[in-house]
Amino acid sequence: MASLKEIRTRISSVKTTRQVTSAMKMVSAAKLKKAQNAILQIRPYADKLHDILASLSASLENSEESVYTRQRAPEKVLIVLISSNRGLCGAFNSNIAKTAYELASSKYARQFNSGQLDFFTVGKQGQKYLKSRKIPVSDQADEILDSLTYDNCSNLATNLMNDFVSGKYDRIELVYNQFKNAAVQICTKEQFLPVEISEEDDMSAKNSNFIYEPSKEQIVEELIPKSLKVQIFKALLDSNAAEHGARMTAMHKATDNATDLIHDLTLTFNKARQAAITNAILEVTNGAEALNG
Amino acid sequence: MFLEIITPSKKVFSGEITLIKLPGTKGSFEILNNHAPIISTLEEGKIKIIETNEQISFFDVPGGVVEAKNNKIIVLAESA
Repeated sequence: MASLKEIRTRISSVKTTRQVTSAMKMVSAAKLKKAQNAILQIRPYADKLHDILASLSASLENSEESVYTRQRAPEKVLIVLISSNRGLCGAFNSNIAKTAYELASSKYARQFNSGQLDFFTVGKQGQKYLKSRKIPVSDQADEILDSLTYDNCSNLATNLMNDFVSGKYDRIELVYNQFKNAAVQICTKEQFLPVEISEEDDMSAKNSNFIYEPSKEQIVEELIPKSLKVQIFKALLDSNAAEHGARMTAMHKATDNATDLIHDLTLTFNKARQAAITNAILEVTNGAEALNG
Repeated sequence: MFLEIITPSKKVFSGEITLIKLPGTKGSFEILNNHAPIISTLEEGKIKIIETNEQISFFDVPGGVVEAKNNKIIVLAESA
């Protein structure tokens, strides 16, 4: 059995760890609240934008192809992997990195093997995972996670859109954690470009005679980039909220484990202490016996 | 008529109004009650609204889009 001193040191070190994990849990809980609010704010905007775009494209007869909707054979593919900059959030990062890797090695196996597939990472952890598998990362935008604003995200989206329009990539996929609740994240794969406009048969949009200013085509032309920017922004916000949720859950479990460990260690410590006392008493009585005898 | 002004970061305005003046791409225009359905893109400029209690407010927008249908107006601005 370990000595009393050893156990005491162990208990105090576990206690320190518990303090750290429970503090991290509190911090994540506060940040999660903020991140959740941010998503709730963006949703009405994204939904409305999508509605307008859907009703517009439904009323466009044999839709004039925009540069963003043009389908090309996917010769060069880019996968945008959104993870987090910091670790200690359970399986958050490894799950999403695995999803991206699977996407690359199944759907785009041909491009992946011939080196026609690039990875773009947002978040250091995803990059680390790919590097450990010797997969090169063509570009990254980790700093965007430190200040998650619409302007920063729209710059990122503009860069991606330019890469698509210039023909550098024929297809761009987004891989990120979607926030469901604090404990559950959904690994999501979304095609970012080319845009797939849902051909909903919205009769109400066709019948209501909208006035379009300046013209239907021009509005669509302007709205598509906007909705792409919002899509990136939403994905990043989702991932951010999911990260804090995952970290909160992970830290909650760690705190619970530390508490259990302290309980067990205290029991062991008390047992060892009692044994030591019993031994001491035995020695004293034995000594007394020896003197009397 | 009911107006909502929404940006990606928050809902800026929501309420009943009697008039809204918008910086449309084809020129500035106003929407009053019972306006025909319209979708228009917006340029950088000022949005002026008059609420039902006759209070006048202004919003600066860098661009966006407006949809008005059945006396329900939605302005999507990039910021305000």
